[in-house]
Amino acid sequence: MDLSLTREQRAVREAFAALFGKQATPQRVRNAERSPSVGFDGLLWRHYADIGALGIGVPSDCGGGDGGLLELALVAEEAGRRLAPIPVAETAAAARLLGRLREKELLGPVLSGSVIVSLATQPGPVAQQLLVDGAIADAVLALDGDSLVYVNRPDGLSKTARSNLGGLSLARWGALGATTVLAEGSEARAAFDTAVDEVRVLRAAALIGLASEAVGIGSRYAIVREAFGQPIGMYQAVAHPFADAITGLDGAQLLVRKACWAMDSAQDDAGALAAMAFVFAAETAYHATTHSLHVHGGYGFMEEYDIQLYYRRAKAWAAAFADPRRELLTVADRRFGPVTTGGR
Amino acid sequence: MDFSEPENWARIRREAEEFTAEHVTRDVIEHERRTGDGVDRALTRKLGERGWIASGWPVAEGGAGLDPFEAAALWNALRKGGVPTAGPGTTMLPANAIRATGSAELKARVLPGVAAGEVLICLGYTEPAGGSDVFACATRSQLDGDEWIVNGQKIFTTFAHLADYCFLLTRSQPGSVGPRGLTMLLVPLDSPGIEIHAVHTMGHERTNIVFYNDVRVADANRIGEAHEGFAVMRAALEAEQNVAPGSRTGWVADDALAFARTHRGPDGTELINDVLVRERLARMAMEAEVADLLDLRVAFLDAEGDKPGPVSALFGPESYVRASAAAVDIAGSAGMIDWTDPQSAVDGSLDAHYRSAVATTIYGGSSEVLRSLIVENRLGFPRSRPRR
Repeated sequence: MDLSLTREQRAVREAFAALFGKQATPQRVRNAERSPSVGFDGLLWRHYADIGALGIGVPSDCGGGDGGLLELALVAEEAGRRLAPIPVAETAAAARLLGRLREKELLGPVLSGSVIVSLATQPGPVAQQLLVDGAIADAVLALDGDSLVYVNRPDGLSKTARSNLGGLSLARWGALGATTVLAEGSEARAAFDTAVDEVRVLRAAALIGLASEAVGIGSRYAIVREAFGQPIGMYQAVAHPFADAITGLDGAQLLVRKACWAMDSAQDDAGALAAMAFVFAAETAYHATTHSLHVHGGYGFMEEYDIQLYYRRAKAWAAAFADPRRELLTVADRRFGPVTTGGR
Repeated sequence: MDFSEPENWARIRREAEEFTAEHVTRDVIEHERRTGDGVDRALTRKLGERGWIASGWPVAEGGAGLDPFEAAALWNALRKGGVPTAGPGTTMLPANAIRATGSAELKARVLPGVAAGEVLICLGYTEPAGGSDVFACATRSQLDGDEWIVNGQKIFTTFAHLADYCFLLTRSQPGSVGPRGLTMLLVPLDSPGIEIHAVHTMGHERTNIVFYNDVRVADANRIGEAHEGFAVMRAALEAEQNVAPGSRTGWVADDALAFARTHRGPDGTELINDVLVRERLARMAMEAEVADLLDLRVAFLDAEGDKPGPVSALFGPESYVRASAAAVDIAGSAGMIDWTDPQSAVDGSLDAHYRSAVATTIYGGSSEVLRSLIVENRLGFPRSRPRR
């Protein structure tokens, strides 16, 4: 039993906090959102790749750093804190998936950042999915039937995203580029399921970072903004939801870290914990950012205020992966076993 | 980071289960349910023989030398096995305050009996007009020679009718307000002038109103300095907020799951196969996981000498209330039949949880007080309660 981060893990967190603090400024976040690919800052991506981000969770014999899911979660949390306009969760899970399959050749350009490989998180044909990194990914990994496939971006497809709520590079690939089968059968499904669970955990981590910063913005405002002759933070109706947010975020962070430990040490309950982490982080982030926006009054709606950037992404970053309440049914399947007869 | 349980936790839990299997008979359980005493004196002495009452104290002081994790594993297993823990558990709050700030003579006189499970101490903070505002204390104490004369009234003094002492907060400086001018006394409950009246709750706990009329207490039973009771009180209150009592959210989650696996809904569907039920059971399980993790972190940070603020004390009870309400919704009329009916489902536990849960958001600090402390400690919010 040890709930503390190692010195190396703290160093990872600090390095990425510094990178995102410098490179993912609110202005850069806004600029990225206004660009055609929506939510992608190429310069930040190059720095992110140069610092070795993409190899952190990849085995060393494939050119990576042998890190676990927890190290990636720390990176995702810091990315979320600054709303970093680069693809973090699906690309990290995809790189680990390639590492698990020992696809060294495919991994080379991924680790250098020159090829962006994402994950199509819904099972089924890629052409039918609205891909979360679709506008910018050079390839996606997907489970099509019983095959785990590496699908290249179709030639000539514009890097224009669909304009959206959360600064995501959402796009659909109507046609597919060259496709390679990497694995088949139960091996393919197990590898894909693990990658999707890692996305659950990394999305949760990003939402925790996002919501922690939103609570910081909202609470700092509530402490200085005055109404009726005193700081609005003196009113308990304003203050107390922040206590619930802090409590929820502490719990969500512990849940993410336990899920990381459980997945990396192959505990029986790992799948249930990953789904719980996603649901709990998604709900906590929504409530935390909603209140943090609300205390700004009318200013919270103004584009100039950063809090609206957080509020929109708190919902979008979760819902683009899955409906949190539907994910509770995933928790149920994993904890209680599947539905055995015709349920409702 | 490592969430795996050390082997000695399993060993301690197993020892506790062996203890409850041997000593906690159905009669013990039903007696506690009928009386709501919160303590069984014979059982408490048996716990004391094993060093389990003051489990965190060194063996030389009558304890078992357990670390905070081990102590939590022990007490959660005892509680789950049906040991009434309110009495012995509460006793340890003043016992630790006495150990930290009491005179050598008082410590020598009282603490060995506490560790042996022979001496029980109840808490005399709350007054009828006080509630969460413990420093609104109006019970008076006045020094007369080497004795204090105490007059006043306390409420919600749980197990006072079975305890040996009350850890009593008194106002010793007339005209003082708030946290100043208070003195903490250890009052023998067999002193002349004490009247104890039973109060019965919807959760089947028995608590008490205690009247103090010209009760004489030796100055040797004072804890800390005269008129400086605030310091003693603060240490005891912080201990209460930072010692996680072990969330019961997981108990409801297990009981509701057991109910859903064995019952059908109004349309004939097995409840466990109904998505509306599954979603809520999953939410209970998720919140139980979070509550347990926050508790675990309290023990961890306590061992590291760090305090995370009362987030665990807030989330555990609040999630327990939510889960207990959802469990009754799921179970309907079959789930609300209580344990006295031989055919009650899951031993009437869903009725019992719903009755008991709300009180947990009050004692040990109401959720509102805890929320204020959290935003003040963690986010630097201004204090919203008026200063005195």
